[in-house]
Amino acid sequence: MKWIGRIIMVLYALLVAAPLYFVMTSSFKTSQAFFANPLSWPNPWTIQNFVSIFDAQPMWQYFWNSARVTLSTVALDLFLGSLIAYAIIRLGGRMGRYTFVYFVAGLIIPSQVSMLPLYSLVRQLGWSDNLGALILVTAAGLLPLTVFTLTGFMEMLSKEMMEAGSIDGASEWKIYWRLILPLSGPSLAATAAFLFVMVWNDLLIPMLLINSTDKLTLPLALMQFRGEYVTDYTLLLTGVVITAVPMVILFIFLQRFFVTGMTAGSVKG
Amino acid sequence: MKNMKMKSSLVLALTLLLTVFLSACGNSSDSSADGKVTISFLHWRGEDTQAFQKIIDQFETKNPNIKVDMQTLTSDQYQSTAQAKLTDGSVGDVFASFPGAQYAALSKAGLYTDLTNESFLKNYNADLIDVGAKDGKQWAVPYQLVYNQPIYNTEIFKKYNLTPPTDWDGFLKLCATLKQNGIIPIAFAGADIGPGQFMNTMVMNNEPSEDIFTKVEAGQAKLTDEFWVKTLTQFKELNDNGYFQENSLGTKDAAAGALFIQGKAAMLASGSYQLAQNAKQNPELKQALLAPITVSADQAKYEGVHTSTFMLGVNSRSKHPTEAKKFLEFLSQPDVASQYANETGQNVTLKDIKYDSPELNIAGDWADKKTLFQPRFTILNSENQKAVTNSIQAVLGGAAPEQAAQDAQAIIDQQIK
Amino acid sequence: MNRKTLWFFMLPGLLLYTGLFIYPALSGLFYSFTNWDGVSTSYDFVGISNYKDSFDSIVFRKAFFNNVKFMLTVVIIQTIVSLILALILAKNTRTRVFLRALYFFPAILSSVSVGLIWSFIYDPSLGLLNTALTSGGLEQFTASWTGDANIALYAIAFVQIWAHAGQMMIVFIAGLHAIPEELMEAARIDGATRFQIFRKVTWPLLAPSATIVVSYTTIQSFKAFDLIFVMTDGGPNYATEILTTYIYHLAFSNYSFGLASAGSMIFLVLLGLLTMAQFKALRRGGANG
Repeated sequence: MKWIGRIIMVLYALLVAAPLYFVMTSSFKTSQAFFANPLSWPNPWTIQNFVSIFDAQPMWQYFWNSARVTLSTVALDLFLGSLIAYAIIRLGGRMGRYTFVYFVAGLIIPSQVSMLPLYSLVRQLGWSDNLGALILVTAAGLLPLTVFTLTGFMEMLSKEMMEAGSIDGASEWKIYWRLILPLSGPSLAATAAFLFVMVWNDLLIPMLLINSTDKLTLPLALMQFRGEYVTDYTLLLTGVVITAVPMVILFIFLQRFFVTGMTAGSVKG
Repeated sequence: MKNMKMKSSLVLALTLLLTVFLSACGNSSDSSADGKVTISFLHWRGEDTQAFQKIIDQFETKNPNIKVDMQTLTSDQYQSTAQAKLTDGSVGDVFASFPGAQYAALSKAGLYTDLTNESFLKNYNADLIDVGAKDGKQWAVPYQLVYNQPIYNTEIFKKYNLTPPTDWDGFLKLCATLKQNGIIPIAFAGADIGPGQFMNTMVMNNEPSEDIFTKVEAGQAKLTDEFWVKTLTQFKELNDNGYFQENSLGTKDAAAGALFIQGKAAMLASGSYQLAQNAKQNPELKQALLAPITVSADQAKYEGVHTSTFMLGVNSRSKHPTEAKKFLEFLSQPDVASQYANETGQNVTLKDIKYDSPELNIAGDWADKKTLFQPRFTILNSENQKAVTNSIQAVLGGAAPEQAAQDAQAIIDQQIK
Repeated sequence: MNRKTLWFFMLPGLLLYTGLFIYPALSGLFYSFTNWDGVSTSYDFVGISNYKDSFDSIVFRKAFFNNVKFMLTVVIIQTIVSLILALILAKNTRTRVFLRALYFFPAILSSVSVGLIWSFIYDPSLGLLNTALTSGGLEQFTASWTGDANIALYAIAFVQIWAHAGQMMIVFIAGLHAIPEELMEAARIDGATRFQIFRKVTWPLLAPSATIVVSYTTIQSFKAFDLIFVMTDGGPNYATEILTTYIYHLAFSNYSFGLASAGSMIFLVLLGLLTMAQFKALRRGGANG
């Protein structure tokens, strides 16, 4: 029994690691070496692919765009989402439940459904090709998920505590800002990690709203590389590596939040 | 009231958040305060931006009161979202479009300005820009010229003493020789562009007509007719004999190109647009174009297939149509077009162009040959287009040609109604 | 409790969500009764004919069945795989904590990246998988992974599972950690076998986690788009065409926005029904233990 588990452990680790190994090593190879043997260890190592990409593309601009969009969206969602989650719990009863359902219903609506009407709306508002609009639209789309997880977390904080607070004469804002938010720190961080991944990697909405090259986010840039570097495998894979780096760093340092973010719902049951 | 305090802090928080946004929005507005007119040029050739930027700089020097703001989308994106972006006239005063379905939809929506009386039209090869004309008026000028036929490796052909065949038997024999020598005869990107590119030369002589697919879409001809079943049967013949690389249906554009560039395959079923890219990857490569002739030599009406694409138009909702036309006129000067062609490795539809790279001249040689406008682009409904290319995939996946043709026709029948 | 203030709290989010998410989605409903092409400024009302055409359409039906196949494959296999992984890695040893992170890792990559990586791996002539099989002497198992109409959909389902099983494993692990140790201990003292413990103690108590995993996976796999869009775009010969890619193609390549909207609405209703049915079934299952 024990060794079956061990074998599965090793095999699955290989399954996950092999493709990652392939991408990493390829990005340090020359095209010739790659075609000679895509599996081999790079020999010699070259950083030429990275140099070429940074030379040919405004990569820093893409990073900056992605970072601005992601940070602002996550901040906005956390703020609005936690207010809503708090209100839902405090309202309780039928009203609380209905509001909860209204938000969570958004979880099943696929973005393809609203794509084109969304586009014409944004255009009418004069927000085309604007990173600010991208932030608002992305935040609106992820609010259901935020409300869902934060409500789950906040339900675990004891209701009595909130009641006690309001009997003490503290305003709702004070209870929320001074009591609930600090207590929700870890769950906010976990939700943030979860949202971070989704916003950073989103393709569909940026594809719809952003036109100019100087406003592309990283996944869009990657799609563009695919068109530009058609047969240049190593360069394309280097693009994959570069776009993943910030996420990987974040993951290494904030792993525990990524992991708890996922379990948000399950704790609620 | 304590509520007041709460509200004011909420307002404060919201203001803070708004500042975050505004900092995120930042640089967007195009100010015309200095009396300059800014026009937007929208297209999908991200790889050509440097060449275009040089041309734009020259244009701006000559026209100091006009500024051209170039925006590119990926071609995937361009086919999907460009039309939505064009409709409000804020982007794409001058814009590119694909022939076929996109051109049809955009002209139906009235997005093109009539260019019939513009003097720069005379700089173009009249036959090649015909695709941008409708009801006797010129709405768009295709800028690029592409030959949608296989590229071959002339060194490999020389090595085995092969020449481009003039009939179907010759083509099969050619493939057989290559295969016997351990070379993949045709690198075929069955997963994406392959069927759509290769079908053109395969069908051009089986039904030597310019409007066969127009008839199919109108219900006056059917895919189950002889011409298409024969085409599918010939696809099957190539596949069954192993003249495509193994598992060709799983091969994408990039991988097929790689097989050709590395000299593992003698032919690449794509088009002349790929020549420059191939040469960049492997400067040693010697390339030329050929088209399979699917009939006997005396029945062959066409020698190849061409597409005039990158159709430039002036947006009818543009706020600066005069300036937009001026830019288009600038692009239409033979020396500017030559500069574009030589820097990007793309052939153009204008007359009196001097090509200075071997790759451009390979395609340039085809200018005098009898070529048919790409049949696939005469299919205006994209569901139909997909049904047609999918019938090729079905055959390569093992379906009988008759069955595949029938399945595709069933889908087309639903579109006709 | 101050109700007015609480509503005031919700207002900004409510406005944002309603204006930029619910309203566009609902206008899809409006457009589904028109023949709007997505470009023109005018359109006509065509009644329910878009709905009729969708149900009649051969491609729509293919896409629907592919959707169901894809969803079932992913839901069943991903749930089982993530449960097994969770059981193996539940203990907090150093190796196991590291492996959890490794297994989770693919979930942080964008689907564009994952799609690109696996396109390279699956490529029949240059790809990693066939190369590895050939050099390992397993040449008879090489295949055209995304090119064979019989395998393509499952090949992509595999990638979907690769990317998300680790994420779902984490949910199960959290569920396992929530089970009181005393219960297990008691069962062990009663002489229960490992399997009996799993069946009688672990599994019933894992029900809430399983609910989350199954419903999340269902929605996620039913809504799948990016991976298929990047890897096969519906091909070969409609083998991987699912409802979202079908809708996307209709709206944006075929300029049939009205028809596409009708497709979206049908899709939405299907997904809604599915989610509801599932919640009911799982709730009941959970309650009975």
